[in-house]
Amino acid sequence: MKRVIIIGGGVAGMQTALHLRTQGIEPLIIEKEAELGGKLRGWHVLFPSFTPADEILTALRSRIKQQNIGVRTSTEVKSFTSRSVTLSTGETLACDSVVMSTGFTLFDARLKEEYGYGIYDNVYTSVDIERMLNEGKVAMKDGSRPKRIAFLHCVGSRDEKVGQHHCSKVCCITGVKQAMEMKKLFPDADVFNFYMDIRMFGPGYEEMYREAQIKYNIHFVRGRISEAGETFEGRIQIKAEDTLTGRPLRMSVDMLVLLVGMRANDDNASLAAGAHLLQSPSGFMQPRDLFLNNMKSNTEGIFYAGAVTSPKNIGETLNEACTAADAVANYLSE
Amino acid sequence: MAAINFGFSISKPRAINMDLNNLNKSDEILHEMPELQSCIGCGACTAVCTAGNLTEFNFRRVHTLVRRGEYQGAYEEMNKCMLCGKCRLVCPRGINTRGVVMLLKRKLGDF
Amino acid sequence: MFVVIAWKWGSWLYRLPHSDKRLIADGIFTGKTFAAVWEAFRECLVHRRIYKVNPLLGYMHMSLAFGWFLLIAVGWAETIAYLGLRFVPLQGHVFFKYFAVGLEHKPVFAFLMDLFLCMVLSGVALAWGKRMYSKAMGMRKTTHHVMGDRIALSALWFVFPARFVAESITSGLYGGGSFLTGSTGDLLRAHLSQTTLMQLETSAWWFYSIVLGVFFVGLPFSRYMHIFTEVPLIFLRRYGLRSGEKESTFDKFQTEACSRCGICIDPCQLQSVLGINTVQSVYYLRDRRYKMLRLATADNCLMCGRCTERCPVGIDLNTLRVNSRDVMRNLPSERRYKYFKGLDRSTGDGKVGYFAGCMTLLTPRVLKAMERIFTASGEEVWWADKSGGVCCGRPLKLAGETDAAHKMMEYNTELFRKHGITTLVTSCPICLKVFREDYRLEGIEVLHHSEYILRLIDEGRLKVNKVDETFTYHDPCELGRGSGIYDEPRRVIEAIGTLLEPRQTREHALCCGSSVANLAISDEQQVKLARNMASELEATGADVIVTTCPLCKKAVGRGTEKEVKDLSEIVAGHLM
Repeated sequence: MKRVIIIGGGVAGMQTALHLRTQGIEPLIIEKEAELGGKLRGWHVLFPSFTPADEILTALRSRIKQQNIGVRTSTEVKSFTSRSVTLSTGETLACDSVVMSTGFTLFDARLKEEYGYGIYDNVYTSVDIERMLNEGKVAMKDGSRPKRIAFLHCVGSRDEKVGQHHCSKVCCITGVKQAMEMKKLFPDADVFNFYMDIRMFGPGYEEMYREAQIKYNIHFVRGRISEAGETFEGRIQIKAEDTLTGRPLRMSVDMLVLLVGMRANDDNASLAAGAHLLQSPSGFMQPRDLFLNNMKSNTEGIFYAGAVTSPKNIGETLNEACTAADAVANYLSE
Repeated sequence: MAAINFGFSISKPRAINMDLNNLNKSDEILHEMPELQSCIGCGACTAVCTAGNLTEFNFRRVHTLVRRGEYQGAYEEMNKCMLCGKCRLVCPRGINTRGVVMLLKRKLGDF
Repeated sequence: MFVVIAWKWGSWLYRLPHSDKRLIADGIFTGKTFAAVWEAFRECLVHRRIYKVNPLLGYMHMSLAFGWFLLIAVGWAETIAYLGLRFVPLQGHVFFKYFAVGLEHKPVFAFLMDLFLCMVLSGVALAWGKRMYSKAMGMRKTTHHVMGDRIALSALWFVFPARFVAESITSGLYGGGSFLTGSTGDLLRAHLSQTTLMQLETSAWWFYSIVLGVFFVGLPFSRYMHIFTEVPLIFLRRYGLRSGEKESTFDKFQTEACSRCGICIDPCQLQSVLGINTVQSVYYLRDRRYKMLRLATADNCLMCGRCTERCPVGIDLNTLRVNSRDVMRNLPSERRYKYFKGLDRSTGDGKVGYFAGCMTLLTPRVLKAMERIFTASGEEVWWADKSGGVCCGRPLKLAGETDAAHKMMEYNTELFRKHGITTLVTSCPICLKVFREDYRLEGIEVLHHSEYILRLIDEGRLKVNKVDETFTYHDPCELGRGSGIYDEPRRVIEAIGTLLEPRQTREHALCCGSSVANLAISDEQQVKLARNMASELEATGADVIVTTCPLCKKAVGRGTEKEVKDLSEIVAGHLM
């Protein structure tokens, strides 16, 4: 039986493995964390349907178990080629093909010092909010209920100052989703979303945006927050331009949520060098083309699945994983 | 529009008439600094602006109007800038905003 | 030549402002004159400062200048010795060897003259060599000259070889000369006939006179004007004359004292990192002198001061840059800043004022750290601009809008006076420099936060933990070269951890590339500069990169993955 090593056991890696299995191929997932699931593990519910992330994770994990698919967790890959994968322990595993599904890294909001993350108590990232929602206790640092919440879109996306020129695609809809969740938790609170552009690309997204506006009375302000400070009462003071009225806007809020973007993994560079792979200017891996070969790398026998090539939502990632598995199967049967 | 009136204003109570406006000057400006065209109008420059927080000076608005061929009053407006450079630090498109201020003043000084 | 020089100096001196003339009158009969004479000897003839850059380069300049000077001086003495004690013009010796054949031989003079000629010739040879292989003299790049300079330069290159040939032939024909010209003369006599030698002699001396003539006629109009201009510059500087934000004729002494040696090119990061080759101080001064300065050249400078630090003539390059920007664009308007009236957003009450500066408002960690430091030391603080204030004025001044900048300076001065502060602390070296140099703040002590923090530690008002952490320090241009503050931040760092110095440090420290003085370079170019300079800091292997300027902090952070912190942050993080 042909053996395919899948680097990264997130949603993309698990789905690829399952589809390879149905085609009679033996997949082995290598995951650096202690359990499968990747970034989805930190998520509460998924847009636009509010499907619990756990539902998807549980389904994928149990199928992996049922199918008896080989998994090595807490294992890191140092380098690889299309025929072998070398682990950080020095161990080398032989294989017939490799799928790289290492996903992305979350932007570190502390790098945007002017937004005060890690400086002021009540500045959070979208990831913090998901965690708090999962834990079932969303509140300000001192435990009280926020009366006014601001979301800031595009933190670490479309920002040349931090070297992230690309759009992370899913933060807009995440911002809308979280704003609605906040409003559900704190119906009396005012929620403001500060955006540069609202990009509602997926099915049901625009409808969800509309619902947020009408049903949840969420305020959308077109302007990028330039800086956050602290008022004497310890609230967060934000500054932006309300570009639609052409005037600067100041506001104090109880919570500021930064919608952090996706950036390319730091180790993409070293992995790419080892396997002679191309990276796009954003640091993500560059597929052979953007159409018929968008799951193939420029090297024969190495394939991509999921957000390793560009920011993607869960649905897209799952689809791409199937396509990647098909491409691998084709390659191995040649 | 604003509380302080300096006797000149960039905003006029009429439509921007792109059939009448002469874009030569604007093209000249964009030729010297093409990056200005990459502005996505996020307003961070204006939000952070030291002068803009004290007056009705709005950098984004003025340079956008100039790019539409609306030059009148732009020079006087740009003169309110203190050139402190905060806008350059926050611009997500990496525009050399201080360079833009100086360029606009140089090109529009005779209006 | 002398007429042109005299006319130039005379008109510049005449057109100096009254206060500068006063300074000259006050200084001329004091020890300053002697000091100036000594400095002129040291710098104009021996070129001590070039030796510091590179010994070989120093020797080249010294052999040319000092050697030639000695040739003239000893030649003059030789002429007098031959002709007896009577009036001999300084240039009397030039063709002395040609006309003075058949006189009694004085071997001492002949030996000395040959020795000095030899010295000058070695300098010329080195100069040729430098054009071909500049790295040997520690210069990666040499100046790209204009036509006039090339003519004068070629003439200079040929003056001494021509003189050598001419004197050798004469000595071959009539004797005289010493180890150099004498022996070459003997060699020529042995191989050539008397007639050929005589013909050669005439053409050699003619060639010599022509190149010498070309050189002296071209001198006042070429870069060689520096030979004479550096001397009065040294005197005037000793008397306390300085260039200011407005042009004055003293600037002419500075621009024309530039020898276009090109030592300023190598330290320029716009050159070494970005490959911009037309804006360095040498080209800027040249363009300004020949009245062909373009705004694009004047504007494209970080004003980091790395070239000033190395300039062998000690020209105040940054100030000259500022005042030419002023000429090119300053348009004062009375209406501009009317809104300053009655404006006061300051908070708190204390004799110590804290001026964060515009940039610091974008680095809230610094603000927070300062807050903790003030609290820990029990200082009551008046916060000048925490919720927005008026800019210090230096960015506008550096852009050449000096009159507008003064409006801000007046506003802030009034604000400080109104709140009766006695100490003014700032976290921004840009603000610090303008407070110290352009504000009139008598009675208010202006401190950078690094100086202030060190004082608190020394006085025992602030106690920090010594930890096992390594730091490297980046000297901000405006704080180090700009204000001479190098030791205070280092002493504070050493109170907390171990300091590792980067390869180029203190007065040679690299600029972060985001300087407010540069209006021309793009964001991408700024990042390139930042990456380049940050790599030197990374190479120290230190855990944390420390700096003392909010703008540098932002800039360095874009060039490295390492942690970049302000000095105040590491202090606040290690309070006892």
